[in-house]
Amino acid sequence: MSDKQEKFHEYDGIIEHDNPLPTWWLATFFITIIFAFIYYIHYEMGGGGKTLTEELNVAMQEIDKTKATATSAAPMETEESLQAAFAKDGVVALGAEQYTAKCASCHGPELGGLIGPDLVDKYWIHGKGTRMDIVKVIREGVAEKGMPPWGPVMKKEEIYAVAAFILSKKGTQPAGAKAPQGEPVEDYLTK
Amino acid sequence: MKTTGNLIEKIFYDDDIVKKFTLATMVWAGAAFLFGLIAALQLAYWPLNANLEWITFGRLRPLHTNAAIFAFAGNAIFAGIYHSSQRLLKTRMFSDLLSKMHFWGWQLIIVAAAITLPLGYSHGKEYAELEWPIDIAIAVVWVIFGLNFFMTIRQRREKHMYVAIWFYIATIITVAVLHIVNSIAIPVSFLHSYPVYAGIQDALVQWWYGHNAVAFFLTTPFLGLMYYYVPKAANRPVYSYRLSIIHFWALVFIYIWAGPHHLLYTSMPEWAQTLGMIFSVMLWAPSWGGMTNGLLTLKGSWHLLKTEPLIKFFVAAITFYGMSTFEGPLLSIKSVNSLGHYTDWIIGHVHAGALGWNGFLGFGMIYYLVPRLWKTQLYSKKLLENHFWLGLTGILLYYISMVVAGITQGLMWRAIDGQGNLVYPDFVETVIRIVPLYWVRALGGLLFLIGFILMCYNIYKTIQLAPKAQEEKAVEVARSGYDEVGGTAHRKLEGMGFLFSILAFLAIAVGSVIEIYPTLSLHKYVRPDSITDPYTPLELAGRDVYVKEGCYVCHSQQIRPIAAEVLRYGKPSTIEESMYDRPFQWGSKRTGPDLARVGKKYPNLWHYSHMVDPRAVTPKSIMPSYPWLAEKDADFLSLRKKLSVMKMVGVPYADDVVANADIHAQKQAQQIAADLESNGAPKGLEKKEIIALIAYLQALGQKGKAQ
Repeated sequence: MSDKQEKFHEYDGIIEHDNPLPTWWLATFFITIIFAFIYYIHYEMGGGGKTLTEELNVAMQEIDKTKATATSAAPMETEESLQAAFAKDGVVALGAEQYTAKCASCHGPELGGLIGPDLVDKYWIHGKGTRMDIVKVIREGVAEKGMPPWGPVMKKEEIYAVAAFILSKKGTQPAGAKAPQGEPVEDYLTK
Repeated sequence: MKTTGNLIEKIFYDDDIVKKFTLATMVWAGAAFLFGLIAALQLAYWPLNANLEWITFGRLRPLHTNAAIFAFAGNAIFAGIYHSSQRLLKTRMFSDLLSKMHFWGWQLIIVAAAITLPLGYSHGKEYAELEWPIDIAIAVVWVIFGLNFFMTIRQRREKHMYVAIWFYIATIITVAVLHIVNSIAIPVSFLHSYPVYAGIQDALVQWWYGHNAVAFFLTTPFLGLMYYYVPKAANRPVYSYRLSIIHFWALVFIYIWAGPHHLLYTSMPEWAQTLGMIFSVMLWAPSWGGMTNGLLTLKGSWHLLKTEPLIKFFVAAITFYGMSTFEGPLLSIKSVNSLGHYTDWIIGHVHAGALGWNGFLGFGMIYYLVPRLWKTQLYSKKLLENHFWLGLTGILLYYISMVVAGITQGLMWRAIDGQGNLVYPDFVETVIRIVPLYWVRALGGLLFLIGFILMCYNIYKTIQLAPKAQEEKAVEVARSGYDEVGGTAHRKLEGMGFLFSILAFLAIAVGSVIEIYPTLSLHKYVRPDSITDPYTPLELAGRDVYVKEGCYVCHSQQIRPIAAEVLRYGKPSTIEESMYDRPFQWGSKRTGPDLARVGKKYPNLWHYSHMVDPRAVTPKSIMPSYPWLAEKDADFLSLRKKLSVMKMVGVPYADDVVANADIHAQKQAQQIAADLESNGAPKGLEKKEIIALIAYLQALGQKGKAQ
């Protein structure tokens, strides 16, 4: 860019030149203006652009499909399949780790209950203390009681591990345990 | 106006007022930088919130932003405008009294802000937190400033106004409009009020204001300063007059539309979002017009970098301006925004502008001004040089760490695995990951502050060693430009201060009216079948606690229509869900998770434990503890007045609820306190602020009929 070396105006000793507008600058300006018009017409004036809600619906359908495939591919859970899964090596240790990170703040470090109920006594609020019951409560949560669903947060193996850990602690009677809630299941602790 | 030929007059410029504003700039800059550093450290190390309500992050951050914008940048602008305008217009300021009223009025406002913000008196709108009596004071002082300035233009001796003056005119007019429109509120008590706008209206007006605070408080006045001090300090001609004309009008006209880019993917109607985006994209070239004119003015003066090192500040400032005004349009593109919004990338972007452009341009200007005002030499060029390099390193550390943190966190938030689940469902995991970068940012801030301390010492010594008992010297001026014949239409316009100001006003009025007017009839956007219930009196009291504690500086209340957000937080937020929100609390940053649908997600006891000590339920949380909420009584009595104000602005409360608001609140509070107690929380909480806050949090996302 050549500087036009001539004084055009002067203010308080500041000399003003009048060089032409740089071409790249003008081009940038015009291109952004053209882009702006096309973009607005495309999205807001019937140009066929998808709205944000439409884009979301497409993305959510995709995710639902992925989830459905993942669920149908997984083997059916039964009390027996869970028993086998819980008995694997290292499961209880993994469960203890997960429990401390995610569950202890509400159910107490010793499982005796805090914000949520005692997990080691024989009283059950949701179900009868079967492996299926425990996995279901962890996975789906209990919305009205403030127990969040952990299914979207934890992997299947982690949920199994926490359930296995809870079962491994049954009957431990931690100090300061919460008062019993729900119905007693008489043979739970001896089963 | 009559031509007086070459008659030479002797006049005195008022440099005393310039000295005052310059020193005030230095004082408040120190405060703003220090608050910023403490806030940065609080994010890296939560115990620095110190369990003191007055300095928790939620209250300190507004103090930092207000100090940086209005106290530091504000005083710098005034110093530069008072100094350069007198010289460019060849006249003393119109009235010394008005100048003094402006100066002392503005400092009083800053002191009032520094007292009320830590005490929790807040509008809950970013950079507009100050309560209504202070807002009125700001408007009055600004009008005093405007009157003084426009009367100075009127009695000028230079017929044509230089480009710097154009930018000052646009600044003064637009800031007045922005401030007044955004601050309209109905007082509830001496230091509390509710805005007249609700939900999407409030969001649109707020970000029209917020974005243009950046445009007309941090950009146009500083461009004006650049056009005076850069050619002065470098003793170089301004590159292009016609570029000045085009980029000035384009900037002023386009900037005002760009506000809604802060609201992309929210429940704001899409046409407004798209307008915000496209005008931001079109802003790129007008912004770079200013950068180009600045840098090409410096062309050929690179040898001065050695002998006049203050030029370095100007070169860096203009470069940061160019960087930020490229990054701004980039971040406004919807797909980029979906990644960057609510993350620290935005914080990095803002600080490249604030520290690099406003900070360095301001420093350069002060290094130029002080020796001239005190008629001496700068004490040490070596110290100036050290200040520059420390500051530059600080800004780069700050910017890079925050961009990396922002992109990292943004990618973690949106990661979805092959089974259709979030890869990082635990929000706190995404926070822990970037804490090391918070330390780097704090280090950057520290270096910037140390550089500034060197400057303080340098300026102090310069003034201390200046010759004493200086006499004001008269300058000889002659009227000029009045005999110019011909010229383009714009050249003629430069000679007409009044018409020029009217046109500048019209340029900013167009975009403002087109964007804001449609949402003023909110009912057109609200679907009658999904109208929400208003907050109960107790929930409203809790909402006021939420605003007071500044929860919105770290938590958003707006779920975007993006798959990962829906998986994490639930259905996208709707217009109806915030239709009674005064002020809206959508937030702009997620240091913590979104709260739009947190209601009923956790038991009351969870919230109680979490507020008293967040680590009790989320071991790695960096949120401050709020133990005082369980100790302080909530103000139930004022609820009658609060509800009557809400009813007046259109919230459908029954007369009985308004008349007995406190009794309704007490009843609901007793239920929550009883539930807490039965689950093991202490007795006697029913009057405490924490109960009101829990009621509000449990109501979030629960008020809609079409859930």
